[in-house]
Amino acid sequence: MSASDGPRSSLSRSVALVWRTLRSMRTALILLLMLAAASVVGSLIPQIPNSPERVAAYELDHATWGSVFRASGFFDVFGSWWFALITALLFVSLVACLLPRSRALIRAARQRPIQARELDGFPSYVRTRVPAGPATVTAEAAKLLRRKRYRVAVQDDVSVAGEKGSLREIGSLAFHWAFLLLLVAIIIGKGTGYVGHATIVEGETWTDAELNYDGDLRTGRFFRGAFSGTGITLVDYEDAYRDTGIPMDFQSRIRLLNPDGSFAREADVRINHPAVFNGIRIYQYGFGWAAVVRVAEGARVLFDGPVVMGQDPLPDQNPLATPWIGVVKLTSLRPQQAIVLELFPDAEAYFRSLQTGVAQPMTEANAPFMRYQVWEGKLLDASRAGLDTRFMRATTSGLIGQGWSVDVDAGCAISGPGDAVPASLEGISCPDGAAPDALTMSFPALRQYSRLQISHDATVPYVLAAAILIVVGLLPALYVSRRKVWVRARPDDTGSIVDIGGFALQRKDRFDEEFATLVDAVVRASGGTVDRDPQEVGSP
Amino acid sequence: MTTAQWARLSSDAFNAALFGYIAAMIVSFAYLAFRKGWLHTAATAIGIGALVANAISIVARGAAAERTPWGNMYEYSALLTFLMVLGYLWIVEARAKVRTVGGFVYGLAVITMAMAVSFFYVGPTALMPALNSYWRQIHVTSMIVASSLLGVGCLFTVVYLLKLSGERRTASRLQTQAPPPIMGGSIASDPSAPPDFAEGADEPVGASAASRRVGLPSSATLDGLAYRFIRFGFPVWTFGVICGAIWAQQTWGRYWGWDPKETWSFITWVVFAGYLHARATAGWRGTRAAVVALIGFVSLLVTYYAVNLWIAGLHSYAK
Repeated sequence: MSASDGPRSSLSRSVALVWRTLRSMRTALILLLMLAAASVVGSLIPQIPNSPERVAAYELDHATWGSVFRASGFFDVFGSWWFALITALLFVSLVACLLPRSRALIRAARQRPIQARELDGFPSYVRTRVPAGPATVTAEAAKLLRRKRYRVAVQDDVSVAGEKGSLREIGSLAFHWAFLLLLVAIIIGKGTGYVGHATIVEGETWTDAELNYDGDLRTGRFFRGAFSGTGITLVDYEDAYRDTGIPMDFQSRIRLLNPDGSFAREADVRINHPAVFNGIRIYQYGFGWAAVVRVAEGARVLFDGPVVMGQDPLPDQNPLATPWIGVVKLTSLRPQQAIVLELFPDAEAYFRSLQTGVAQPMTEANAPFMRYQVWEGKLLDASRAGLDTRFMRATTSGLIGQGWSVDVDAGCAISGPGDAVPASLEGISCPDGAAPDALTMSFPALRQYSRLQISHDATVPYVLAAAILIVVGLLPALYVSRRKVWVRARPDDTGSIVDIGGFALQRKDRFDEEFATLVDAVVRASGGTVDRDPQEVGSP
Repeated sequence: MTTAQWARLSSDAFNAALFGYIAAMIVSFAYLAFRKGWLHTAATAIGIGALVANAISIVARGAAAERTPWGNMYEYSALLTFLMVLGYLWIVEARAKVRTVGGFVYGLAVITMAMAVSFFYVGPTALMPALNSYWRQIHVTSMIVASSLLGVGCLFTVVYLLKLSGERRTASRLQTQAPPPIMGGSIASDPSAPPDFAEGADEPVGASAASRRVGLPSSATLDGLAYRFIRFGFPVWTFGVICGAIWAQQTWGRYWGWDPKETWSFITWVVFAGYLHARATAGWRGTRAAVVALIGFVSLLVTYYAVNLWIAGLHSYAK
């Protein structure tokens, strides 16, 4: 029997030891500092979720360390198993510490303050004689203590116990429990949520579905593909700049559509002003130009629609002064072709830049024109945004203004509102017009697109509630002071002998004065006179 | 006044404040060394004058930029010094009646302002639209208030550790060398002791008579002061981080993204949470808790300076 008992009791003993260790403040402290240290690592080494390009660059430069970091999760500290482990241990420790404290708080709240027998052992203690009888003294003392917001218990008309400051423990527990709520809410919210970016050209409609995102869609671990199906139509995009080129505002006017396609409402999305609809939040994220282009070979239309254009400015360049680049890929041609378009939205600003040598921001569409460069060969990445020219060769190039048509093969303009062509661009029109089966391109319009960030996180209100609870709990936890006071009276000739004792758990320096005031008040209420003898009132 | 005149007034007042704090620091340290009452009066007067100049600089900056004057590191630093010195004069000098530690606070103010001028100076300009939010105002204001409180608290922790080691050394020397006071060798009658040591709360409470020789308040007083500031600063920091998260949710669509500034504000929060717990833990009170506070100080400095200077992120608006 003892043989079967042995291992079990040693097991339960070690479980108890682990539990005790986890409960200790020292463990919690060390785990807190470990959490801080892990976060330091996460802020010094580039992180995949924040800057994947810097991680890639680091791995190129430091092959050995890069592989070590990748294997150990240092490139994604906040998603690594060991960060999760520290957090989990911290929360186990937290709960282990909070459960008994919460139980004790509930028990103490149900109980009345406990009477004390010997008062002369307390840090603050006074014995004095008053004319009133014990019943009067205790009643008056109870009244005084209640007025000072003590919880009071009176026993047999001879003994009073008072305590206050339980809000401190309530606040402290609320503060700590709130972290559990915060963690659970974050895990559920991030786990079942998603965030991605949608590029929508003015006049077009985008639907919230996996394939329509820009390619940087991030979904939570427990997300099962339930995108909202919301439709977003970009009615209009506007931006405003100061004279210095500093942006003032970006605004997308959108129409929100229910998943069944019916119109729900309009909304304005600006920086700091997201739209919330159907469980998703829509943020203004970026913007750009989309040239509407039509490419045809003879009568056969190969491409007709807006080309979303991006930028690749150097670090010290003003992005607004650099051209916008987009690609039209013609996969059906043999050999395959691609037309790279380089857009200058504001011709006037561009020529001013050339004349003055100072880059001028091009914020408005003003006689926009594009340089085009045709490539011929094999398209490696027909579905992606950029152009891989490794198996291609450059053929013709030329210029196209808004409203023009050009013969792409010959690199000359067929038609267009000549007055929009600056004098320096003259002499580029085709002498004989277009050949019947020539590859032609027209540029009827320039629109803007807006890039919106779409995110779904169902627990944001709970995270906010937990955060509020953290602050609300923290204040009493740090600022409320606990005090305990006892008053006992016993009959003596005509009056009573009164013992008053008490102590403070926090802000002890202020308690001496509070205690002396209380003693004076009790004595006065009992018909005595205040004649404080320093040997009677004191704190040893 | 025109924008340019306001800008000029702001930078003149900034320089006046900087030189005022330097003077106040020197005079304060002189008071600590020589314990002449008039030196303290002078230090306080200069300190208040510099504080007023500091305030004028901040207000004029706001008038020049036509917005609230906390939009970049230079402006944060001006506000930070103002709050540190204000907090010191109010909490330490006026309420706790401790007068000998002013030199350290003015020193911290001087370093902060000098850093601002040399590394972060920018003219008064408009803000990026992402910074246009009233949550930014609340977030930035609370972060700076909290930084000033935590900074001053940590400064007192440093002084506390210095004083503590001094007290320990004196105590051990007394044990080995000094004759027992009953023999008439009492330190209180030491002719080399400064004549006016026995006034105000600088007077060590419950400390050994030997520590009266040094002008600094007792280690217990310093520890109490440090705790007072950090206990005040910690909830404000918590509130500020939460406001920042609300602002981030509004602007970037996520309340937390482990951006370097966010990460470091979290680290600082965790370390000061550790400090508050350490003070309540047997075996960690005193020196160990103070060391945790010092780690917190370093983390605070990294959060405030290094992230903006060396670590890129969404908060990189230093220049």
